[in-house]
Amino acid sequence: MDADRDNISRIIHTICPFCGVGCGIGLRVEQEKITGVEPLTSHPVSQGKLCAKGWSTAYAVDPIDRITTPLIKENGSFRPASWDEAYQLITEAFSTAITEQGADAVGVIACARATNEDCYAAQKFARAALGTNNIDHCARICHSPSVAGLRQTLGSGAMTNSIDDIEKADLIVIFGCDPTENHSVLGGRIIRAKMAGARLLVVDPRLTRLARMADLHLQLQLGTNIALINGLLQIIFANGWEAAEFLNERCENEAALRAKVAGYPPKRVTAITGVPEEKLIAAARMYAKADRALLTYGMGITQYTTGTNNVISISNLALVAGQIGREGTGINPLRGQNNVQGACDMGALPNVFPGYQEVAQQTSRDKFADHWQKKLPENKGLTSLGMTKGALSGEVRCMLIMGEDPVVTDPDQHHVQRALEALDLLVVIELVMTETAAMADLILPAAAFSEKAGTFTNCERRVQLIQPAIAAPGEAKPDWQILGELASRLGYHGMDWPNAEAIFNEITALSPLYQGMSYLKLAENYGLQWPCNEQAPNGTPLLHRQQFSRGKGRLIPVSHADPAEMPDEAYPLFFTTTRLHYHYGCGSMTRKSPLLERETPSGVLFINPADAQALAIKPQTKVRISSRRGEVETRAVITDEVPPGTVAMPYHFKEAPSNRLTNTAQDPVTKMPELKACAVRVTNLEEASQ
Amino acid sequence: MNGLMTPQLIRISEIYDDGEAARHFTFEPVSGTRHSARPGQFFTLAIPGHGEAAFTYLSLPDAQGRFKALIRRVGALTSALFECGHGDLIGFRGPFGNSWPLEQLLGKRVLIIAGGIGLPPLAAVTDRLSTDGNTPVGLIYGCRSPAEQVLKHERSAWHASMPILETFDRPSNKGQLTGTPLDHTQQMSAKLGGSPEAILSCGPEVMMNAAARHFIKNNLPPEKIWLALERRMHCGVGECGHCYLGSSTVCTDGPIYSWQQLIRLQSQTTA
Amino acid sequence: MRAFLLESLEQLRDHLAAQRPLFTPQFAADSSEPSWLPLSHNTPSVAIEQPLLPAYPAKQFFFPEREILFRFDGTDFKETLPKPAPQILFGVRSCDLCAIAYQDQFFQQDPYYQARRKATLLVGIDCQLPCEGGFCPTVDAGPFVRDGMADLVCHQQGDHWLLITQTSEGEALLEGLDLKAAAEEGITQRRSQEPQVAAQFPSATHIERGIQRINQSQVPAELWQTMGLQCLSCSGCTSLCPTCSCFTSYDRPVDDGFERERCWDSCLYDAFQREASGHNPSAAAGQRVERFWFHKFSDEYIKTFGRYGCTGCGRCEKTCPGVIGVHSVMKRISATP
Ligand code: SF4
Ligand code: SF4
Ligand code: SF4
Repeated sequence: MDADRDNISRIIHTICPFCGVGCGIGLRVEQEKITGVEPLTSHPVSQGKLCAKGWSTAYAVDPIDRITTPLIKENGSFRPASWDEAYQLITEAFSTAITEQGADAVGVIACARATNEDCYAAQKFARAALGTNNIDHCARICHSPSVAGLRQTLGSGAMTNSIDDIEKADLIVIFGCDPTENHSVLGGRIIRAKMAGARLLVVDPRLTRLARMADLHLQLQLGTNIALINGLLQIIFANGWEAAEFLNERCENEAALRAKVAGYPPKRVTAITGVPEEKLIAAARMYAKADRALLTYGMGITQYTTGTNNVISISNLALVAGQIGREGTGINPLRGQNNVQGACDMGALPNVFPGYQEVAQQTSRDKFADHWQKKLPENKGLTSLGMTKGALSGEVRCMLIMGEDPVVTDPDQHHVQRALEALDLLVVIELVMTETAAMADLILPAAAFSEKAGTFTNCERRVQLIQPAIAAPGEAKPDWQILGELASRLGYHGMDWPNAEAIFNEITALSPLYQGMSYLKLAENYGLQWPCNEQAPNGTPLLHRQQFSRGKGRLIPVSHADPAEMPDEAYPLFFTTTRLHYHYGCGSMTRKSPLLERETPSGVLFINPADAQALAIKPQTKVRISSRRGEVETRAVITDEVPPGTVAMPYHFKEAPSNRLTNTAQDPVTKMPELKACAVRVTNLEEASQ
Repeated sequence: MNGLMTPQLIRISEIYDDGEAARHFTFEPVSGTRHSARPGQFFTLAIPGHGEAAFTYLSLPDAQGRFKALIRRVGALTSALFECGHGDLIGFRGPFGNSWPLEQLLGKRVLIIAGGIGLPPLAAVTDRLSTDGNTPVGLIYGCRSPAEQVLKHERSAWHASMPILETFDRPSNKGQLTGTPLDHTQQMSAKLGGSPEAILSCGPEVMMNAAARHFIKNNLPPEKIWLALERRMHCGVGECGHCYLGSSTVCTDGPIYSWQQLIRLQSQTTA
Repeated sequence: MRAFLLESLEQLRDHLAAQRPLFTPQFAADSSEPSWLPLSHNTPSVAIEQPLLPAYPAKQFFFPEREILFRFDGTDFKETLPKPAPQILFGVRSCDLCAIAYQDQFFQQDPYYQARRKATLLVGIDCQLPCEGGFCPTVDAGPFVRDGMADLVCHQQGDHWLLITQTSEGEALLEGLDLKAAAEEGITQRRSQEPQVAAQFPSATHIERGIQRINQSQVPAELWQTMGLQCLSCSGCTSLCPTCSCFTSYDRPVDDGFERERCWDSCLYDAFQREASGHNPSAAAGQRVERFWFHKFSDEYIKTFGRYGCTGCGRCEKTCPGVIGVHSVMKRISATP
C-alpha cells in the first residue's frame, strides 16, 4: 500500500528545458504523469521564479503525440520498425556512403537542447565511429559568432560573468536583444536591478520593453552595430575616458584600434546609424565612467554577415572601458536554447573537440585518439549549412539529425528541404513529428529531458544536473544510448556506456573546463560554473579576473559594412526576425500548451504605424511579405516596437515560416547566416477587396 | 445525465447562407429534451476537436424545441461548424445569461439600434416587441456596406409591423441612407411618434457607446439604455473568468447591461 | 467543537495517515523546498512544529492544473466526474484554509471541484511566527485558523498541542486515539494569544493604504501602465495564488474521439480576453495588472465572498519575475500622492 502511495505523487527537481538561463524546476509527477511544475526558491538562478515557458513544461512533455518506436518510411508513409531493422538500415547506408565516397560523405547534427552527454556522444559518434568532423548543431544560427569573436579577443566565447552580477552592476547595457522576452527570468533580474537603482542603456533598432524602461535608448538602424561601437570608442578615446591602466597592463593592439576608430567621428556615425550625436556622447560617457557596467547581448549582434566582427567590436568596447574582469561587469552573450553552451563545450562543432581543443592541432587529436582508441580525421568538418549545401551537390549522402528542426529554423527553408530530399538517407532522432522528421527516411524515438539523467550548461557556464522524472514512452531512449548502439553496429565499441554518469566522467577526464566536476559535486552545489579544476574546485563565477584566457585581451579593429542585402526599390523594407517570449525554437515543444498556442495563434508581421498607414494596413490585415527568396502570408500587427522602414516576424511558426524570406548570406568566419536583416516588400492583400 | 460543463447532443436541421460569410442554422433536440429561453440569452455549441463557443438565439425554442442561430465564420470553431451539414449532431449547452428587460419595455417607445453582426442578438426581442401591438418599436440598422447586412428574411417580416431604417458607411446605390445609426434618430422618432423611451443596442462597442452617450445627452435616463456585450467565454456559468467586466461576469450578469450598470462597472478601474 | 491535548503532531499525523492517504507539506527529495507530498514510510519524519509554507497552496487538490471534463467517444458526450478516494490534507495554514473556503464558495456548483473537495478532510495548524512575506492578519486570514475552516485544528502550547475539532467528520477521525480533553483555559489562552502573534508581523500599512486607493479608484492609470510594462505574463502569480481560479478549456484528441480538458489560465496573458475577431477588451498590460489586483482587493468581492480575494500568503511576491508581487505593487500604490 505504501509503495502505491509513493506513486501518487512526487516532485523531481530538474532544470527547465527551454532557454539558456537554466532555471530550476520541480516536476510534479502524479500516477506516472507529469502534471505540473513547481518553482524552486533556493535555486541560485531562478530563485522561485519561472517564465511562461517554464511554467508550461508539463505540456511540452505531454505524451500525447510522442514517437514511441523506430519508424521507417515506405512509399511516403512511416511504419513502425524494430531497433534492429532500423540500425541495420542505417549501418548499411552510412557504410556504403563511406566506402564509396569517404567518411566526409556523412554528417551529424547535434542538438542544443540535448544534454551534454548526448552532445558528447554525437561528436564522438561522428569523429570516432564515422570518422568525420562533419558535426555541428544549431549554435550556427544563434551564437557561433560569439565563440569565434570572443575566442580571438579574450580566449573564451562564453559569458564572462554570472547572472548574479546583474544585480551588482550600476549600469546594464543591453545590445540587440530583450532578455525580458527571450530569457525572461534573467530579464526579470534586470528589472529588479533597475528597480534597485541601476541604470539601463539599451542599443536596439526595436523599441523593446527594456528600451521603454531604459535611461537611454540608442535606436540604431538595422545592421549598424560596428559603426555605432566604433563611434562610441572614438568618443571615449577623444575625451580620455578609456581605462588607460587596464589597457596598458592587460590589452594589446591599442594603437591599431585607435587608428581605426578615429575614422568614426560622431557626425559620420550619426549619418550611418541614425542615432543623434548627443546620445552617442551620453552613452559613451555612461559606459566608460560607470563603476561597474555589465554588458549583455543577443542575436541582434550575432545574426549578421558581420556577426563575428560585431562581437569583436563589443569586446573592443568593454576592453577599452575596462568593464571586464570584475564583478558586475563583463561581456555576456545570451544563449538561445537551453544547452547551446553545453553543445559547444562538448565539441559538437566541426573544428573543436570537447573543451574547445582544436581539431587542427596534432596534440589534441592525439589526446582524443589515444583516449578513444581510434585514429581521428584531420579534415576540416562541415558546418550544418555546409552539410545541407553538400547534400545538394552530392558531397554529403547520409545525415543523422538529433532533435533539431532545421526545416523550420534554418534560413532559406526551400534550400534546406531540397537538400534533405537529395540525401541517400536522412535519420532523425526526435520526440515528436517535426517538419524535419517528416522528411526523414527513418526516425528514432528519443527520450525527453524529463525521462533521462544528464547535464545542461546554462549561459553562465553553470553545469546542472537533470533527473528522470518518469520513464520514456514506448521504446524511446536517450540519444547517447541510441548513438552508442549504432556505433557498435558500425564496429566501434568505445561508446558502450552503462549510464549518463559514465559519459560525464569521460568528459571530465578529457575537458579541462569540466575536470573538477562530478555528478555528486553538481548535486551538492546546484551546479558548478566552468572552469572547474584543481585551481577552482568550486567553479569560476567570474572569468578573466587576473588575466584573459588567451593572456592579453586583444583589440581588433573592425569596419562597418552594410548587411548583404539592403532595401531597394523592388524590396523597400528591412526585414528582421524576432523571438517571442512565449515560444521557443521551432515551437515543437511550446506550442503544445493550449495557452501559449492561443497567445500567438498564427504567424504575425510587426509593422510600424507609419509604414502600415502608407500601405493602408490595419490591425489584423492580411499581408504578403516577399523577398528575393520566397514569400509568406500572414496578418499584420501594428506596433511602434519596430522602427519605420523595418518589419519583423517571429520565426517559430510553420504556418508563416519567416525563413522562406531570410538571406543565406553568411558570416565569412563562422558561416552564420544573416537572419537579422534582408530586404522585403509587403503587400496588403485586403486592399483589392476594399 | 450530464452536468454543468458537458454538452448534450443536438441536431442541425436546416442551414442556409445569409450575408457575408454568415449562415443560418436551425437546431432541434435529439432526445426530446426541450428547453426554454428568453430573448437576449445565449447558448454554446461544441464541435468535438474544435472546442466550444457562445452564440445568441436568433429565435427562441419553439414547441418542438427547435431554435435558430446566425453564425459568422470567424475562427476555427465556426469554420468547423460551416463544414457541418444537415442532420449532423453537435454539442449544446444553455441557455445562459440574462435577457432583455421585456417588462420594462412593453408599452414604451423602444428604439433598437443594431450594427452589422449585432443584429441577431436583437432579433428575438424585436420579434416579441413588434408583435406586441401596444409597443411602438423601431429599428435602425447600420452596416459598413449592404454586403455586411444579415437577417434578410427577418427584416422583411418586421418591415410589415414596424419602421426600419437601414444605413451604410458605403452604400451601393443612391437611394440608400448613409452615415451612422445616430444620424437618423430624428427621422425614427418621428415615425415612433416621439423620442424613444428605451434604447436597446448591440453591435461594435464604439457604436453602442456613442449611441448611449447620444441619448444620455438627450435626457434619457441611463437605466433606460441597454446594451448587449460580447466577451470571450469558456464556461457560460461564471467560472472560467474570461468574460470579466469590472466585478461582473458577462456570462452570468450579462450579456445585457444597462448604461447605468456599465458606467458603474467602468468606474471601478482606471487603466 | 471540542478540544483535546496532544503530545506531538506526529502522533496525530501518523494516526490519521493510517486511515486515509495523507498529504502534508514536506521537503521534496534532498532539498529545502516544501511541497505537498503524500506521507509514506520513505518520508523522513520532518519537524512539523513550524508549519511549512509549501510552494503551492492546496488548491490543486480540488481544482487541478489540468482536468478532463468530458469525453466525446464519437457518438456522444460523456461527463467524466472524478471519483476521488477520501484523503486528508495535514498541516494547512490559515491563509490557505481561508482560500479553500473562498474557492468552496466560488466553485459551489462545480461538480468536479465539489467531488474532490467532499472527499477531503482538512487539518489546520495555527502559525506561531510570521512567515517571510506573509501578512495574513491584515486581510483577516490568520495567523490562527478561523472557525469553521478546517475539520481539525492544531495549536502549539509550550511542549504540547491543543487539538480542536471543528466538524464531526474531523472528530470521527480521532477514534482510537486516546486523548485527554483539554481544559477550558487552553482555549481561552489560544484566543488571547492570537493578537500577540499578529503583532509580530512587520508593518503592513502599505497594504492597508493600497487597498483603500484601489477601492477609491485613486491609482493613476499611468502607474498601472508602468507596472504593466513589468509584467512578463509568466502566469506565476495566478498559478500560485490560492484564490486564483481562471481556466481555459480545449479539446485533446484521444484514441476514440476527443476529451475536453480544462487547465489553469492567467488573466495576465495578453490573449486572455481576446475574441475570435481579434478584438481585445484588455489589450494593455496595465489593464491586466490592474485587473489582478482589483480582483484581489476590491470591496465588491466582499459582498459575495465575505472577504478579500487575497489571503496574505505572499507567494506572488516571491514568484513574480517582474517585481510586481503584492508588496512591490502595494508599496508603489501607497506611495503615489
Ligand atoms: S527563463 Fe528560460 S530557463 Fe527560465 S523558466 Fe524561462 S525558459 Fe525556462
Ligand atoms: S494575491 Fe499574492 S499574497 Fe494575496 S493570496 Fe494571492 S498570492 Fe497570496
Ligand atoms: S507573476 Fe508577475 S510577471 Fe508573472 S504574470 Fe504575475 S504579475 Fe506578471
